[in-house]
Amino acid sequence: MAKSSQTGVILTSEERLARRRLILRDTVSLLTLFLITAALFVLTWLLHRSFTDHEALLGQRWKARGEAALRAGKPQAAIESLRSALAYGPSRDTEIDLATALAEAGRTQEAFAYFNTLRESAPGDGMINLQLARLAARQGNQQLAILRYQSALDGTWQGNGYEQHRQVRLEMASYLISQRQYDKARAQLLIAASNAPANDLAAQVRIAGMLEQAQDLSGALSIYQSVAGRRSPPVAALEGAGQAAFSLGMYRIAAEYLNRELASPEVASLSAGAQAADRNMLATTNRVLLLYPAADLPARARARRILADKNLALARLTGCAASPSASPKLAPLVSRWSQLPTHITLDRLEQQPDLNQTILQLVYDTEKITAQVCGAPIGDDAILLRIATNPGAVEQE
Amino acid sequence: MPEPTAQSMMSAPTPGLAGAGPESAPDREARFAIALERIAPTRDERLFLVLSIFIGIMSGLLVVAFRIAIEWVRLLALGSAPHAGQLRLIFVPAIAGLVVAALVIWFFPAARGSGVNQTKAALYVYDGYISIRTVIGKFITAALAIGAGHSLGPEDPSLQIGAGVASITARKLNMSRRRLRMFAPIGAAAGLAAAFNAPISAILFVIEEVIGSWSAAVLGSLVLAAISSVVVVRSFLGTEPMFRIPVVEVKDTRELMAYAVLGVIGGLLAPLFSASLGFLRPRLRALPRWSLYAQPAVAGLMVGAIGYFGFPQVMGVGYDVIDQALHGQFIWEILVALTLLKLLATTISFSSGTPGGMFAPTLFIGAMLGGAVGAFEKHFFPGLTGTVGTYALVGMGVLFAGFLRAPLTSVFMVLEISGSYDIILPVILANTLAFLISRSLQPVGIFEIFTHQDGLDLPSMEEQREESSLHIEDAIQPVDVPVVRGGDLLQSVADVMAQTKAHACLVRLPDGSWYALSAEDLTAATATLTPDAPVQRALKSDRAPQLFPDMPLDTALHHFPRWPVLPIQNRASRAVLEGVLTLNDVLARYRGGH
Repeated sequence: MAKSSQTGVILTSEERLARRRLILRDTVSLLTLFLITAALFVLTWLLHRSFTDHEALLGQRWKARGEAALRAGKPQAAIESLRSALAYGPSRDTEIDLATALAEAGRTQEAFAYFNTLRESAPGDGMINLQLARLAARQGNQQLAILRYQSALDGTWQGNGYEQHRQVRLEMASYLISQRQYDKARAQLLIAASNAPANDLAAQVRIAGMLEQAQDLSGALSIYQSVAGRRSPPVAALEGAGQAAFSLGMYRIAAEYLNRELASPEVASLSAGAQAADRNMLATTNRVLLLYPAADLPARARARRILADKNLALARLTGCAASPSASPKLAPLVSRWSQLPTHITLDRLEQQPDLNQTILQLVYDTEKITAQVCGAPIGDDAILLRIATNPGAVEQE
Repeated sequence: MPEPTAQSMMSAPTPGLAGAGPESAPDREARFAIALERIAPTRDERLFLVLSIFIGIMSGLLVVAFRIAIEWVRLLALGSAPHAGQLRLIFVPAIAGLVVAALVIWFFPAARGSGVNQTKAALYVYDGYISIRTVIGKFITAALAIGAGHSLGPEDPSLQIGAGVASITARKLNMSRRRLRMFAPIGAAAGLAAAFNAPISAILFVIEEVIGSWSAAVLGSLVLAAISSVVVVRSFLGTEPMFRIPVVEVKDTRELMAYAVLGVIGGLLAPLFSASLGFLRPRLRALPRWSLYAQPAVAGLMVGAIGYFGFPQVMGVGYDVIDQALHGQFIWEILVALTLLKLLATTISFSSGTPGGMFAPTLFIGAMLGGAVGAFEKHFFPGLTGTVGTYALVGMGVLFAGFLRAPLTSVFMVLEISGSYDIILPVILANTLAFLISRSLQPVGIFEIFTHQDGLDLPSMEEQREESSLHIEDAIQPVDVPVVRGGDLLQSVADVMAQTKAHACLVRLPDGSWYALSAEDLTAATATLTPDAPVQRALKSDRAPQLFPDMPLDTALHHFPRWPVLPIQNRASRAVLEGVLTLNDVLARYRGGH
């Protein structure tokens, strides 16, 4: 019996049966296809999971090896390991480590290219800018180095940002010092000093030391003194303060800190050479303080020192003037000495403060001029020359 | 080409709807098709879309498994960190070459080659037939070869695996021969989309290189399959693009000059690559048969030697190296060395008959070339703002356009993998230059070269793309026959015809339709009708076809046995004629060429 299908075509009973069979067959086929797909999915998933687990393991292993090699100062081995680590699991830290390893291996150009590319995607990353600054410094590109150091300072840091900022600032200052850009270095160091926590004495001492290198002895002394004023100050602060004061001609302060330093039990941590140098410095300081006619001395004692200094200077002049070549250069000085009263006694000096000042000025000028004409003095003349350099600073406190 | 013949293919039992008697396969199929058309006329169409999704999913799963298989082979064979100086870099690819050669010769002869031409052959020669053995063979041999360090890529094999999955699935579902032929490109698109993680590029490539033309019938299924496969791949491998793309920005349009230089250099390098493959491949194939066992091994030895002596980057797929180039991690000297060595390694590996594709090596060479040119230019023109990575990215597209000769795909591929449209201008400029220069230097595309070398005669997609088909407007003639109204008297129409001696006239009917009345029909009508009868009474029930100037010329051809002349209407007003067309006009136009 014929019957119309949905499409309007009249189907025979055989055709209807065939149609049902076809529908059944297609349904079974699609179901089978679905099951095959599901089975394939499970197999692929298992394969994928096994591989990704292994990949992660390899990534960690190579990264650890690379970092260890980098720490051990084996940049070439670190490069190989870190490249492998990146192949199994890209991460920014690993990339930075790799670029650092390249730089340490002397492959500056590659490292530069690597870091530059990293910087393009993260221009504000402090570490990347710092590494670029180091590379630029190594390449002698001062302008770029300073620019990148500044970018590193302005950039973002992971972890302890404060500490990292300070380290970068100090590194930048150190670079500036090496480039003899002392003013810029001082500016960075003063910022670092003001930002350094008061209880971080080691950092303060380091900054003070760098200020000394940047030829800012006053700033350095100020920080050393601040640290030395703390309870149980580090011996380096006492030593630094003593040395800075000594260099500035502030012998009273130098004596105080050098004495404290050498009396400190921690002085043993200094090298024997450093200790000996500090002892010599202290001996010189003590001698300066013995020769210097300090204002706070009793009038008689002060007059005695002035008289002694006068005799020392005059002897120095006499000795120096004996040389025929030096004589003409010393003529003005000799003339000034000849204008002094012939008999200068302690009583007279006590009574005439102006005369004290005139004699002292002549003593200092004599030591300075004879040093220029006849060479560096020795003994007490050398001490007097130190005082003459900055007499007002000797007793400064 | 060791693919089975159509005859052998059809010898497989084809289920009939009634009991099968002793009849030939074509008869059986024809009977099945007729019966199917009668009892379930929309079955194929409905299944087509459903199967496209299944094919996409299965292709995606297989491609994921294929890529992981390559990685496992690489890990197990070359170790987790292959580097220069390791002896196994030399021996592993050589041993793998021997094994692969034996597998290909003894078990999987159809697995040889890249997979693109094999898929085209399946489509045009074998009615879309790709055997299960081919799919399995391609999977195993390509994974072994690529994983062991041969300088080949997984994309073309993925394309063939996808096409194979589609072919097998469609056959199991007893789809018609016409549908079966359409499934291969759908699977190819799914496989390639999964390998590239870029569905649009895959679809475009299949259209540009496999199908050769836009076909609305297959486009929907292509999209469904490609998207399905990419969804599967992304669910396993993540949604990130294939490469980590650096910041891409073109700040100054004057920099386009720099990219143009890259396009020119790429356009010069691409023919060199083609020529080296075109030169070496047939010579190696012409060697004695026993040497086929040794060729992949020797190729492996040579590629391994390149790795051993300092450039292990050229071994294997090289995605990680491309990634490094995109991030400016090489200096230009290294990039130049990698460009040339990869070209050499790929030429050796591919010409030896080792299964594996050329997409990844093309991208590799392009990226290295782009990076080298970019780094070089930036060295001498530090003011250029584009990064080396940007040049590497553009370089990938440049070589793709110049070497694989798929310009549209090359542009979309770069856009898809970069995820940025900011780079579109440099890409279009450089790719176009590379394509034009490469084509002028090497007129025959690489796939066509291989086709000829394999003794096949497949259609050239490049030529097909550029062929301009004729339209009615190319043959249309002014209206030189009488035009009358349907209400005009028969006698007056006959008089007009007699005066003009026209062989036909056009009758415009009140409903806007047209009729072409021949002189013979008019004469016959005047014999049976009165002279004062309206001419439309002499017309038959049908009407002249609606034809417009923009329609393909061949659409007019099959109307001529019925109509002596065809009215060409205006699309805005169908009562208005644009002209007429006769069979002679059409034939003359075809004879005259374009």
